[in-house]
Amino acid sequence: MIQVRGLNKEFLGRDGADTGLLAIDSLNFEVRDNEFLTVIGPSGCGKTTLLRIIAGLIPYDGGEVNINGVPVTGPGPDRSVVFQNFALMPWADVLTNVVFGLEIRGVPKSDCKATGMRLVRLVGLEGFERRLPKELSGGMQQRVGLARALAVSPQILRMDEPFGALDEQTRRLLQEQLLRIWEQERKTVLFITHSMEEAVLLGDRVMLMTTRPGRVKEIINVPLKRPRGQETEKSTTFIEIKEYLWENLRSMQVA
Amino acid sequence: MAAPSKSKGKDVLSAWSLRIWVFVLFVLSWQLSAALMKNMLIPTFTETIGGFIQLVFISGRIWEPLYISNQALVLGYLLSVVVAIPLGLAAGRLRLVDRILNPYIGVLLAIPVAPLIPIAITALGLGLASRVAIVFLFTFIFITVNTRAGVRNVDQGLIEMAKSFGANERQIWRRIVIPGAVPAIFAGLRIGLGRAVAGMVIVELLLVASGLGRLLLEFAGRLQADFVFATVLVVIIEALLLLNVMSFAEKRVAPWAHDISVE
Repeated sequence: MIQVRGLNKEFLGRDGADTGLLAIDSLNFEVRDNEFLTVIGPSGCGKTTLLRIIAGLIPYDGGEVNINGVPVTGPGPDRSVVFQNFALMPWADVLTNVVFGLEIRGVPKSDCKATGMRLVRLVGLEGFERRLPKELSGGMQQRVGLARALAVSPQILRMDEPFGALDEQTRRLLQEQLLRIWEQERKTVLFITHSMEEAVLLGDRVMLMTTRPGRVKEIINVPLKRPRGQETEKSTTFIEIKEYLWENLRSMQVA
Repeated sequence: MAAPSKSKGKDVLSAWSLRIWVFVLFVLSWQLSAALMKNMLIPTFTETIGGFIQLVFISGRIWEPLYISNQALVLGYLLSVVVAIPLGLAAGRLRLVDRILNPYIGVLLAIPVAPLIPIAITALGLGLASRVAIVFLFTFIFITVNTRAGVRNVDQGLIEMAKSFGANERQIWRRIVIPGAVPAIFAGLRIGLGRAVAGMVIVELLLVASGLGRLLLEFAGRLQADFVFATVLVVIIEALLLLNVMSFAEKRVAPWAHDISVE
């Protein structure tokens, strides 16, 4: 379980000094075990900052961030991240990228390979193990990113607009695939997105954030039954929640 | 991105035929203008080739000076690599090192090296040490600067990714920073190599008469223009060979980068 209480984070100035301006202001929420929480908000609401704090990549200025009751002080073995820009090593082939986290954690080579191959299959990339990232499409690259994050068997998966850089069709396919994988290997997922459809389709709950400073406006329950798929998007509940999100986001946007 | 493979062979072919045409044109105009000028200090193309064959195959006079010159080249270049790459890596990632080195790097980039030759000779004498030092001075700053830039340009997202998996600084260096900087390091090594060849010949021409430089001065003194040109031709061929070896090594070491750094 992720618990965030009264979290504050100031914007950093150019010289790295605090500016006194709050990027995130007294944030309170929790993500339950095996829950899929999606986070949506206007640009600059501190979504990515929030995720990096929970990943233990950057410090915070006030409040508490606990994972299973333990305060976050740095990256942990129980957590991994899927990045928006994929963050694949261009010099390494698919398999090497997938097992990166395992190798960093000192898992023996042969185990790495076995786990790596299992995940390559899980994300549907068998036959591409020895390809370099630049030889893959964007969608395939992000599947490598997903496989890498899952390889370390994290309890908690953090996804930072993972499909944001992909085209609409690829994004839909990857959403479906992510849902399938999540049904198989339940994890706690914190998923940041710009897309209202994506937030509702994937999430058990949707956390709506406001901007400047980043605060929780509301956490909305998504009572859609799982497994979800194409049919889900036609249901009235789906459309209602999506519209509700848009009404709220629209008033916050400064286009 | 790579061109579609169908037309690739054709592109290479036409590129080569263009190169050959340019070469033929160059040789023809050289031959004609030299023949018309009748200046004994400018040999024709065929005379130069004749001199080349004489020096390389018949008398073999080129080999010993070539060997002597290359001692300075090899030692000076290796010394540069050994000093410059760690320095560039450190300057690229460690803020403090960069702050300290920055003004010196600026100075070293700005000053011409040739005026330093007398100083090197005063300090190190007329032997191999001076020549090595000059080759080093010609070379190392360019390798340092490129290595530093390469480290700087390593995708910060990759470093963050590595940290998110709990990588320590040593792992970040080994798995992300160094592989990420390899293409730029090779660019530096290539520029450095060209400079090293230049440094090798310049120091021999200007002060420490030995190797190829001494040979050039000797031929020039005897007005054997064909041999002068042939010796220069040898230097050019050596530089091209070395650069090709470098490109080959680069493709082996960093195959993912070859489409941005071949030419």
